[in-house]
Amino acid sequence: MNSASVNRVQVKEGDYRVSGDPNVVLSTFLGSCVAVCMRDPEIRLGGMNHFLLPGDDDFLDPRHAERFGVHLMEVLINGLMSHGASRDRIEAKLFGGAQILSHGRDIGQANANFARKFLRVEGIRIVASSLGGDRGRRVEFRPCSGQARQRRLPLNTLPGVSPKAEMPDLLESGTLEWL
Amino acid sequence: MPFLRHLRVLVVDDTNTSRMLVSSTLQEIGVLHIDFARDGRQALDKVMADAPHLVISDFNMPNMDGIEFLEAMRAYGPSSKTPFIMLSGKADRDLIQTAARCGANNVIKKPFTRQSLRAGIEAVVGRLQ
Repeated sequence: MNSASVNRVQVKEGDYRVSGDPNVVLSTFLGSCVAVCMRDPEIRLGGMNHFLLPGDDDFLDPRHAERFGVHLMEVLINGLMSHGASRDRIEAKLFGGAQILSHGRDIGQANANFARKFLRVEGIRIVASSLGGDRGRRVEFRPCSGQARQRRLPLNTLPGVSPKAEMPDLLESGTLEWL
Repeated sequence: MPFLRHLRVLVVDDTNTSRMLVSSTLQEIGVLHIDFARDGRQALDKVMADAPHLVISDFNMPNMDGIEFLEAMRAYGPSSKTPFIMLSGKADRDLIQTAARCGANNVIKKPFTRQSLRAGIEAVVGRLQ
C-alpha cells in the first residue's frame, strides 16, 4: 500500500473509532490505559476504543468504574454492529495496561483485568494481546485487515527523543501481524 | 418496603455484563424480582407470557432493538401501559423524542449510576421508599 494513501486516525482516551476503510490506520498512545481493537473478519470492519477506568476513590458509588468501562466497550460493539458486524464473529486484540508508576495501585493491571473479564463474559474471542509491563505503547490497528503493531516507548522518554525512533518489539504470542 | 419487595422488573440487554450491572444495582436499591432477556424478541415473549411491573431495556440490540420492542409491547393490549424505561449510551435528543413518541416513560443515559437509575425509576413508578 502506498504510504501516501494512509489515513491515520488518533483514538483519544475515552473515545472510540470504527472503520472499514483499508486506508485507515487507528493509532493511539497508551500508558496504563487499555485499547481494545475489535473486528468482524467476514465484513472486514473494525474499531478501537481507549479507556482508563476511574479509580474507586473518585466516586461514592464503588460500582461506577465498572459501569463506565462497560459503557466504553458497549459503544464500540454497538458501533461495529450498526455498520453490519455480527456480534458472534467479533474478535479482539488488547493492548496497554502498563504500570507506569512504580508505587501505588497498579491501575494498568486493573484496566487489563477488566477488559479480559468483559470479553470472557461476552464470549468475544481474544486473538492477540500485549498487556502489562512497565513501558507505554504506541499502537496502530488497521480495522479493515485486522493487522496490528506496537512500539514500546522508552522507560524514561526524554524531551526531544521521538518514540518513533524505537524499533518495534516482537511479541511472544506470534499472533499479531506486523505491517 | 413492601412495594419494592413485590416489584417485578424485566431487564433487557444484549450485553451480559450490562444485564448483571443493572441487576446488581436494582438489588442494591432493594428490588428482589428481576427477570432477563437478551433482545427485544425474547423480551416480547416474556412480556406476553407474564407482563412485569416495569421494563428496563437497552436501545441498541440485535434482532429487535429497544424501539421496535417498545412499539410491539405498546401494540399488545395487556402491556400497552406497562412502565418502560430505555437505557442508552446514545441518549441524544433524537432518541429521547423517538422513545417518548413510541410510549417510553423515561430514558436513562449510560453509564448510569445507582442514583440516576433510582431517580429514573422513581420518576416513573413513584418513590421507592
